[in-house]
Amino acid sequence: MNATALLSMLLAAPSSGNQGFDLGKMMAIIIAAIFVNNFVLSRFLGICPFIGVSKQLDSAIGMGAAVVFVMTLATLGSWSVYNMLLVPLNLGYLRTIAFILIIASLVQLVEMILQKFSPSLYRALGIFLPLITTNCAILGVAVLNIDEKYSLGYSLVNAIAAGIGFTLALVLMAGLRQRLELANVPPALRGKPMAFLIAGIMSIAFLGFAGLGS
Amino acid sequence: MIEMLKLGLVLMLVALIAAVALGIVNSSTAPIIAIQQELEKQNAMSEVAASLMPDDSLAFDSLSIHNLENPYASCDELLQVVKVFLPPDTSRIGYVFIAYGKGYSSTLQTMVATRMDGRVAGTIILNQQETPGLGANIVIPSKLIEHLTGMTAEECRLRKDGGTIDAMTGCTITSRAVVNSVRQGLEDMSGAGLFYDDITLDEEHAEGGTE
Amino acid sequence: MSLMKDLTNGIYKENPVFKLALGMCPFLAVTTSVENALGMGAAATFVLIASNFLVSLFRNLIPSKVRIPCYIVIIATFVTLVDMVMHAYLPALHKSLGIFIPLIVVNCIILGRAEGFANRHPVLNSIADGIGMGVGFTMAMVVLATFRELLGNGTWLNMNVLGSAFRNQPLLIAILAPGAFILLSFIMGFFKILETRKGGRQ
Repeated sequence: MNATALLSMLLAAPSSGNQGFDLGKMMAIIIAAIFVNNFVLSRFLGICPFIGVSKQLDSAIGMGAAVVFVMTLATLGSWSVYNMLLVPLNLGYLRTIAFILIIASLVQLVEMILQKFSPSLYRALGIFLPLITTNCAILGVAVLNIDEKYSLGYSLVNAIAAGIGFTLALVLMAGLRQRLELANVPPALRGKPMAFLIAGIMSIAFLGFAGLGS
Repeated sequence: MIEMLKLGLVLMLVALIAAVALGIVNSSTAPIIAIQQELEKQNAMSEVAASLMPDDSLAFDSLSIHNLENPYASCDELLQVVKVFLPPDTSRIGYVFIAYGKGYSSTLQTMVATRMDGRVAGTIILNQQETPGLGANIVIPSKLIEHLTGMTAEECRLRKDGGTIDAMTGCTITSRAVVNSVRQGLEDMSGAGLFYDDITLDEEHAEGGTE
Repeated sequence: MSLMKDLTNGIYKENPVFKLALGMCPFLAVTTSVENALGMGAAATFVLIASNFLVSLFRNLIPSKVRIPCYIVIIATFVTLVDMVMHAYLPALHKSLGIFIPLIVVNCIILGRAEGFANRHPVLNSIADGIGMGVGFTMAMVVLATFRELLGNGTWLNMNVLGSAFRNQPLLIAILAPGAFILLSFIMGFFKILETRKGGRQ
């Protein structure tokens, strides 16, 4: 089977009905997740790493990559468990517990696998992985995908786009904060207050994307 | 190895206790939640259908029409149409349906009552999570949804889209979601032959309902 | 005495939001109205107290290697409980808090207090700490929500405060996402000034 056929089959995988593959809908999901409803700047998910890991550009990129990676895997895991295990068994209410356990064990697993097979990647991403368990953006995307009743394909697209949106906000923020080191900031606003102020201004800019793609 | 097993057992025990506790609570709250949602829907239906005919004894009956899909709903929910009638008489006096429209930050659910000629009689917003103070003002009837009353599918458009309805200030997306989803619903229903133009409506009245 | 200290610790001295900068996501997201802030605060406080209680009760039984997953399961259980009970008895509030109820699970305050306080302190102190942190979190949310609702909608707890003229043309930005970041930044700055003043005098 070639890649295109596989992709369209995956995207057409039904969740509970007939959601066919629709490029327009996919683009709308991507644009919404990256710009319009940016996880950090408009949905307020993943604020802790956003403020905590945005002091250096390098670590921001590392964190962003780790989040995209775990988000995709977590979506794959949580979507499958919810739709193939919890729903058929009528256990939908165990969703939160199941998802958080999936994410926690996934992070652990990824950490162990990376450590064993790719020490260089582990060194690059390693310190960020434990932080990800408590990153609400990961649980957020898993829950949102279920609430929106996306098929597996759309869920994965949404997860990757949301991760890219998170990375975008993080990298922009890190760039700004590196320059800020040289600026003369009023003492009261130094540190976190200034970071939030910048986030506010970035968020105003992202408001301009409202309506795009819909 | 034994150590690992022990740790795994502890974890499993904790998870098991948690699952059992949740199961017990769920079994007692689930019926209440279901009743509440049904009640909420019933109340909304009575409220919106009062615009067709202010009468407490209105009755509803679900119509199952296949092939009526709502493209605005994020899920594959079918357009559910309910017919409204006044009990002793079984001829319908109108319909109630729920329109789903994707707004700024949520899917808006609008419940619409329509007359037999395909005109909107009344609307209420069932469900929305738009920005408070902005899109969330859509629930105030005078802002937008009041103006939908009396409109046909054709007229149901924002001024920006070539119609006559003014969008709420600063909330074009929310307004458009509601207006377009209502129009789509009306069009689908008319496509399914649920409406009568004025002449056939008279005929139906003369026959006293041919359900 | 030490119980009182644990109780008041979270309210000002170690206020989870303004001082420790924990639990930012729900804090920023639900402060669009005072009503939502109070609802979220009540839910989070309940989960905090309950999880602190259980973690402290079983602190000697849970092997330290699997303690974090155990805490997460305990917290997730209580969050789901709150979710169900709220859905059944307070449907309107449940609707407006939406996705943020499941996300109480990853509210770092709760896991942070389980790991940082409850697993090393007796049951009563842990409950006191849970109450203090919960109240501190709620108060911080109410403060920000007050500014956002007043400026962005002209109301406070749905009561019309600033008159209808303001209500028709409010400072919308305050209630939108940027307003949350900017107002929080000013409030944090204000706390910092207070602190430096106090520190200077001593």
